[in-house]
Amino acid sequence: MSSSPVAGPAATGPSSGSGTAPAGRPAPDRPRGGPGRHGRRVRPVSAGARPGPRRVARHWPQYLAISPYYLIFTVFMLFPVIFTVYLAFQKWDGIGDMHFVGFQQFRFLWDDPIFWLSVRNTLVIWVLSTVPMLFLALVLAVLVNSTKRFTAFYRVALFIPSITSLVAIAIFFGAIFSNNFGLINAILRSMHLSAVPWLSNEWTIKLVIAALMTWQWTGYNAIIYLAGLQAIPSELYEAAKMDGAGPVRLFFSITIPLLRPIILFTVVVSTVTGLQSFTEPQVLFGSEASTNPNSGGPGQAALTTLLYFYHQAFDNNDFGYGAAIVWAFFLVILLIVLINWRLVQRKERRP
Amino acid sequence: MDLSRRRFLQAAVLTAAAAGATAACGGGSGSSGSKDSKNLSLWYWGGGLSDKVVADAKKHFSDITLKTSLVGGDFKTKLLTGLRAAQSAPDITGIKGEDIASFLPNANRFVDLKSVGADKLMPQYLSWKLKQATTQDGKLIGFPIDIGPCATYYREDLFAQAGLPTDPAKVSAELSTWDDYFKAGVELHKAVPKTYLVNNIGSVFSMIIGQGTKRFIDENNTFIGDQDHIRTAWTTAVKPYTLGIDAKINDNTWNAAISGGALGTEIGAAWHALDISSAAPGTKGKWRVANLPGGPSNLGGSFLSIPATSGNPEEAFKIISWILSPENQARGFTDAALFPTAPAAYKLPALTGGDAFFGGQKTIEIFGPAAEKIPSAYEAPADAAVSVPFFNELTSIEAKGKDPEQAWKDAVSQAKQIAQRQGVK
Repeated sequence: MSSSPVAGPAATGPSSGSGTAPAGRPAPDRPRGGPGRHGRRVRPVSAGARPGPRRVARHWPQYLAISPYYLIFTVFMLFPVIFTVYLAFQKWDGIGDMHFVGFQQFRFLWDDPIFWLSVRNTLVIWVLSTVPMLFLALVLAVLVNSTKRFTAFYRVALFIPSITSLVAIAIFFGAIFSNNFGLINAILRSMHLSAVPWLSNEWTIKLVIAALMTWQWTGYNAIIYLAGLQAIPSELYEAAKMDGAGPVRLFFSITIPLLRPIILFTVVVSTVTGLQSFTEPQVLFGSEASTNPNSGGPGQAALTTLLYFYHQAFDNNDFGYGAAIVWAFFLVILLIVLINWRLVQRKERRP
Repeated sequence: MDLSRRRFLQAAVLTAAAAGATAACGGGSGSSGSKDSKNLSLWYWGGGLSDKVVADAKKHFSDITLKTSLVGGDFKTKLLTGLRAAQSAPDITGIKGEDIASFLPNANRFVDLKSVGADKLMPQYLSWKLKQATTQDGKLIGFPIDIGPCATYYREDLFAQAGLPTDPAKVSAELSTWDDYFKAGVELHKAVPKTYLVNNIGSVFSMIIGQGTKRFIDENNTFIGDQDHIRTAWTTAVKPYTLGIDAKINDNTWNAAISGGALGTEIGAAWHALDISSAAPGTKGKWRVANLPGGPSNLGGSFLSIPATSGNPEEAFKIISWILSPENQARGFTDAALFPTAPAAYKLPALTGGDAFFGGQKTIEIFGPAAEKIPSAYEAPADAAVSVPFFNELTSIEAKGKDPEQAWKDAVSQAKQIAQRQGVK
């Protein structure tokens, strides 16, 4: 009963784009390349049956124009990725001979408490950063969307943190949260509160890193949400208002459902990037301890999985083990992305 | 969102096939070209050699073009990558002290320096340092640039306040064991409550390990990190923590602590003096240097090596031995705080002068004898990797208040796992 004012528009289409102008666009699930300028000239049957080298030859300028990206991608991204699959089954110190060891690296991984500690750390930091980040981003986007003046300024201000050097931010956060000489503890002391050992306690360490990531990426996500918000037709809001919906109701019954594809996108992207945190703990705790610059701080509380991988591969010269770590972690990320995807999509189908 | 499973799989198979083709092409690229014997390249890192001495070496060897590259970032990783092909490998390269052991199993990638004239020069250099770059079958792959003989840096003014001895000779004599040192620390902390004795217990542990003749792995490639010599070092290192004289500094606040007087002493290598004087210029004249409790120890110190692909190993070694001659090492000490590896340099004026930061004390009187008495220990290629859990667990004691006994057990079990992964018995 409560969902009656918005159930209609929300059900028309999963994406706000097709909901607004269904007539003016091609159906999204038709195969690409069919309609268009070349559609008339290509014989429909043979075009589907054999794309063939002749077509590639005819469009060589286009293929040439997009080739640099694919070449660079293949050499610097794809080949190394494939190579690590091979490496994960070898023992290799980076310069000597490789020895095939089968699944031994994965067996080591299974028994390695530090690997599991690093996975736990990464997940905790990810939850602590992503949840407030996406929530704040949504609130900020709604606020900026409703402003009439200085909108350009707000957008630029929101975007600046995401293009700031991560190393600089990490050093800055390190100074702010420093145990004995940091700004926050100075403020706490001046208010006669006891100082918090931000960078020694295993939970506050994670909190500081999560705060850093939240600070950096909230604005970026807010900009994406803002773009999504502006695609929502204002008639929906007007109709809901006529039916007596208040601002909170508008937010939860129109804004959130229609933004769902955008939210899915930001959730997936922040999952992939949030789980790959590396620079933050590396810079925050890297300067100390000449014996192990990549230990992840006191109690290894900031040891993320990628930092552990880096330590094993590049400090210990154990490249096979490093490869096994990243592939195991890749599976973890994949699993979490799939869970997220399912969760958000299922909700969408509910009405 | 409507990316179908089939189309996704198609794309995945296509990209994988493309990658396979690229990998196949990549196989043939490791060509080994002949190298130029008149153009030699030298890789080192900022502060790794005296820039002035290197500039003079270019003039001195006028018939050779010496091209130097200051390699920044992770030097070892870049060197590993460079060594894979003759074209990209340098003709002379620096190797950091903490990395030299990990290069020993691949000694065939380097020229045995004894075959190009090092054998005649070796008696002039510290034998324990040469041993670090010597393989078990006797090949020498690195010539020592510098060492890090360790000592106790202490605040003379704070020691005076606490009624402790202040004269370096007296401090050396009265604080000659770790227990004496900790006892003085308790008195110091009682008299000056904001001052602690050590910055963290990991530094104590690493000093004690350096004082021994055995480390974590022995010559037969057996893990010995659970034996008495490590256990004793651990127990001693934990003492400042239980006595409450450990400042527990494991974050970036060391600079502030050292300039604010929170640290009454620092145990560190000779090059550590530069860290102290640049972090706390205001304490100039208040610091002194005394012997390390429990005997001499070493921390750090790098090498120059000649990769096997070098175009002219004989000439390359002439350049190395010129850069590292006692006279030039003395210049390197003045210029880049590189403590010489040739004891003859300790008598040269550059080292025998007084240091104003230490109230005019002639610090060579402490470091010189220490350098010659540093015990020689076998350092296995996996030694650094295996030692890491011990330091991490010591930090856990400080950060989380972890029970030292539990921390010891965890450290040993983790170290054994790493040893197993690294192929140690």
